[in-house]
Amino acid sequence: MSEQIHLEPKGMVGQHIAMPEPTAWPIVLAFGCTMAVAGLLTSWGIGILGGVLIVAGCVGWFRDVLPHEKHEEVEVLDQPIIITSHRALVERIQVHPRHRAHLPVETYPVVSGIKGGIAGGIAMIIPALIYGWIAHHSIWYPVNLLGGAGVIHWRNPSTADIAAFHWQGLLVALAIHVITCLLVGMLYGAMLPMVPRHPIVLGGILAPLLWTGILHSSMGIINPALDERIAWGWFVISQVTFGITAGIVVSRQERVPTGQSLPFAVRLGIEAPGLMHSRPDVGPPRDGGKH
Amino acid sequence: MSTVPLFTDESWQMPSKGKVAMLSLIIGECGIFGIFLAAFIFYLGHNLSGPTPSILDVPVFNTVCLLSSSLTIWLAERAIEHGEIRKFGALWGLTILLGLEFITGTALEWYTLIYRDGLTISTNLFGTTFYSLVGLHATHVVVGLVGLTTIMIFTLLGKVRQEHAHRVQVFALYWHFVDAVWVVVFTVVYLVGR
Amino acid sequence: MADQPVPIAGPLEVAYPTQGTFLEWLHSWVTTVDHKKIGIMYIVFALFFMMVAGAEAMLIRIQLAIPNNHAISPEMYNELFTMHGTTMVFLVGMPILFGLANYIVPLQIGARDMAFPRLNAFSFWLTAFGGFLLYYSFIGGFGLYGMGNAPDAGWFAYAPLTLRSFSPGHSIDYWAAALILSGFGTLGTAINIIATTLSMRCRGMTLMRMPLFTWLLLVVSALTLVTITPLTAAQVMLLLDRYAGAHFFDAQAGGSPLLWIHFFWVFGHPEVYVLVLPAFAVANEVIPVFSRKAIFGYPAMVAASVGIGFTSLAVWAHHMFTVGMSAAGNSFFVLSTMVVGIFTGIKMFNWLATMWGGSIRFATPMLFCIGFLFQFLIAGLTGIMLAAAPWDWQLHNSYFLIAHFHYVLVGAIVMCIFAAVYYWYPKAMGRRLSETLGKWHFWVFVIGFHMTFDTMHFVGFFGMPRSIYTYEADRGWNTLNMVISIGAFIQAIGVLIFAWNLVHSYFYGEEAGSDPWDAWTLEWATPSPPPVYNFVTEPEVRSRRPLWDIKHPQDPDWKYEP
Ligand code: HEM
Ligand SMILES: [Cu+2]
Repeated sequence: MSEQIHLEPKGMVGQHIAMPEPTAWPIVLAFGCTMAVAGLLTSWGIGILGGVLIVAGCVGWFRDVLPHEKHEEVEVLDQPIIITSHRALVERIQVHPRHRAHLPVETYPVVSGIKGGIAGGIAMIIPALIYGWIAHHSIWYPVNLLGGAGVIHWRNPSTADIAAFHWQGLLVALAIHVITCLLVGMLYGAMLPMVPRHPIVLGGILAPLLWTGILHSSMGIINPALDERIAWGWFVISQVTFGITAGIVVSRQERVPTGQSLPFAVRLGIEAPGLMHSRPDVGPPRDGGKH
Repeated sequence: MSTVPLFTDESWQMPSKGKVAMLSLIIGECGIFGIFLAAFIFYLGHNLSGPTPSILDVPVFNTVCLLSSSLTIWLAERAIEHGEIRKFGALWGLTILLGLEFITGTALEWYTLIYRDGLTISTNLFGTTFYSLVGLHATHVVVGLVGLTTIMIFTLLGKVRQEHAHRVQVFALYWHFVDAVWVVVFTVVYLVGR
Repeated sequence: MADQPVPIAGPLEVAYPTQGTFLEWLHSWVTTVDHKKIGIMYIVFALFFMMVAGAEAMLIRIQLAIPNNHAISPEMYNELFTMHGTTMVFLVGMPILFGLANYIVPLQIGARDMAFPRLNAFSFWLTAFGGFLLYYSFIGGFGLYGMGNAPDAGWFAYAPLTLRSFSPGHSIDYWAAALILSGFGTLGTAINIIATTLSMRCRGMTLMRMPLFTWLLLVVSALTLVTITPLTAAQVMLLLDRYAGAHFFDAQAGGSPLLWIHFFWVFGHPEVYVLVLPAFAVANEVIPVFSRKAIFGYPAMVAASVGIGFTSLAVWAHHMFTVGMSAAGNSFFVLSTMVVGIFTGIKMFNWLATMWGGSIRFATPMLFCIGFLFQFLIAGLTGIMLAAAPWDWQLHNSYFLIAHFHYVLVGAIVMCIFAAVYYWYPKAMGRRLSETLGKWHFWVFVIGFHMTFDTMHFVGFFGMPRSIYTYEADRGWNTLNMVISIGAFIQAIGVLIFAWNLVHSYFYGEEAGSDPWDAWTLEWATPSPPPVYNFVTEPEVRSRRPLWDIKHPQDPDWKYEP
């Protein structure tokens, strides 16, 4: 199937190609440098020898390149190259039209997830602060519960400690809060279209309940201090607030096509025959000008 | 001119290898300077004894000279590009003079530091870091001056022509780097450090 | 070919045995500026030192095989592990990567030589002389007892042990001076590779069409620029301390040994990536060719490599968790180290996806690359474990650490070096390496490798620290250490099979032809060995796999690539 292509040195055989001429000066210079350094370790004499060699090497090298670089003419040999493969068969990937059809064909853009995360994140602060105020008369209490890791000198803080303001606690809590909200928000953006029915009920209420359950059972290992003090009722309220707000915000956004109709590999940037349609507009011309 | 006969073709142009190489060298040099600067900053205020950076005089004139040499060498580059060899020679010579002034200034500064203030590389941490950092820069200036002078000699012999503009520009990149680094060294040693 | 009139000998000298005397032959190598010859010299130099450092490792393992052993003296033991580490990193890893780069990169991008052929020769000789200077210390470096004394302060040479008061004599000076020299050689070659890849590409070879091997060597070289220079600077400081009475690392005068540790690892960590990226580069070539599929996710591979390059600059203090840092410092370096794992993960998956569904040929190069995939996975995982500060506090400087980095250095890098030699030897020498011997080599080596380095994890858990001269019999380490030593010897046998293969196939190997593996990059479009000028006429490429395009005119890549 494949035709043979010969890279003949067409008409070049016997002609000459200029290549840089072999020269000893680089090795002289390198040896000079070595001796100069070795002089430090052994004796001055060797160092001086090194210095002399360095000067000689530099001058010699200089004269190799200036005013004109020295070249040597190399004769072109007659070595024809045949580029061919006996594996002419190219297997094509068969992309069935209904491939992966269970993934959504349309989805919310990434920004919608981010927006949802921001809205949910702001909304869930309210129940958390209310809880802090009601239970401990301090809005800093929930903040420090989340960001206590940032207050480095804390060893077994008392309730009063936690209720006080700590800027490190605030910073760390903010960072954790912002990052998690954005990530979960984006997860919402990606997953809501996959939820078959009642996305708000499922994503807004059931999902927060589920992950609160997971946290409830694992918090003792992850963060025992938090586990001791956390009020799970209020925690659920915050989470559900987040879930519902984020869900509503996300589902209000425009949908965009996912590219699911394209094969997976193409979306990853793989180009291979059979995967995509060849582009008839790109011909074999010298497209060297295209950078 | 290329070292190896390149396949030449106007529609397929690659960046100049001389410039790429010089920029790479400069990035590498930044690594070296970075480490010496880090040591200088790390040891600020850690002296156990002896003179502190407050004995330094700010070398304003030196700095002005070195920085303006960047300007003159740039003008020289433009001159040779336009084939004005005499103008090139004059500006190049001026660059050398400015560089020489700088290095003499540094020498005098060190002389006073050593003989008036008794500060050597082994006196204390300030001496160690100061001499090594400023010395590292001075070494670069000296190397640069050797290069500048070589080109000057060939200019005087009438061997430098318009077609060498590219090589001259590649070399000038190095000199610009030496100047730019001085801005950092100067700020750290004489402004922040003092 | 041998009866052609040849004005200058090609890279395969012995193909023209009747030509000239031995001296002329030597002269042609010493004065050469041809990238192929320089590449071969680099590789031969590196393989030679691989044997030397391997022999040192064997001595270390003899000493540790049984408890309370005194096979070699404690002083000698310190010298051996220092020289083993230094040699393997600076005289084996770096030269072999630059050798491969020298040989392959110009061929892959369709150039006739490196951008600066003379600088190339100079850099090689500087590295080579640096290596010889280092080894001269065995006879020349007057040590504590007035006898020859090699460096003995570990390959990281922590201060204050390296200062005059604790290391009199010249052994440390040899270490610093030799590495400064070879460091400049490294810098020269790195600059050369960057200039070559950026400025010497043939027509149509845009950056996004460059073979991944070349891409990775570009990244490595760029990383080298900012990696090797801090070490050079720190070593200059060390020499200033030792010779000029400076106080950089001298705690007595207020200086700080901690600064050395920082400087060393600012170099040391990126350095391990400088070593491992070329291994990735080899896998990037070998795996697609032997899976008969284009590499999966080319853009992702490029991005991940560049990403690794940048991140590796910000993780150095994961070598310093036990030095004592602030909680913020610890957290930062834990997290940044784990980020490296993400990029590495991308690469692992891309290699697997390349193999998935391909028609894989289990030739020797591919075997080594598959071994690499397995072993690098485990190495990366132990790396992530050590990157968790609390874990590291337990296991730092134990044999677990040694196991981690040997899994990378041997399990990944050395394996890929072997793969590279099997893959490109036919190009350079015109003859294939024997497949039978190759398979023996692979299996013997892999078995030895796992005996040695899997076991090391466990002695590490049982508390055996690194760099100890000997140990008491009641620690429960005896059997494991014996297993480790036996494994080491099995690996040595594997390497000897390899060496024999190199020599034997040179004379009796099967003729390779220009394209023995049915591969796709430009180096396979030249005769084996390539003539001095590589290409008679300028090649022109339109896709990432120019030879594929020619071989499959119906399905050329340029129809599908962006
Ligand atoms: C995902 C990749 C990797 C991670 C997360 C990682 C992590 C680590 C960590 C945390 C240490 C410090 C352990 C300690 O000192 O207690 C370490 C040590 C080391 N790693 Fe890795 N590593 C990775 C890959 C590599 C690679 C690719 C290489 C080599 C090419 C390498 C070579 C080394 C070496 C040589 C040491 C020991 C240095 C010494 O103390 O002498 N690592 N690694
Ligand atoms: Cu590291």
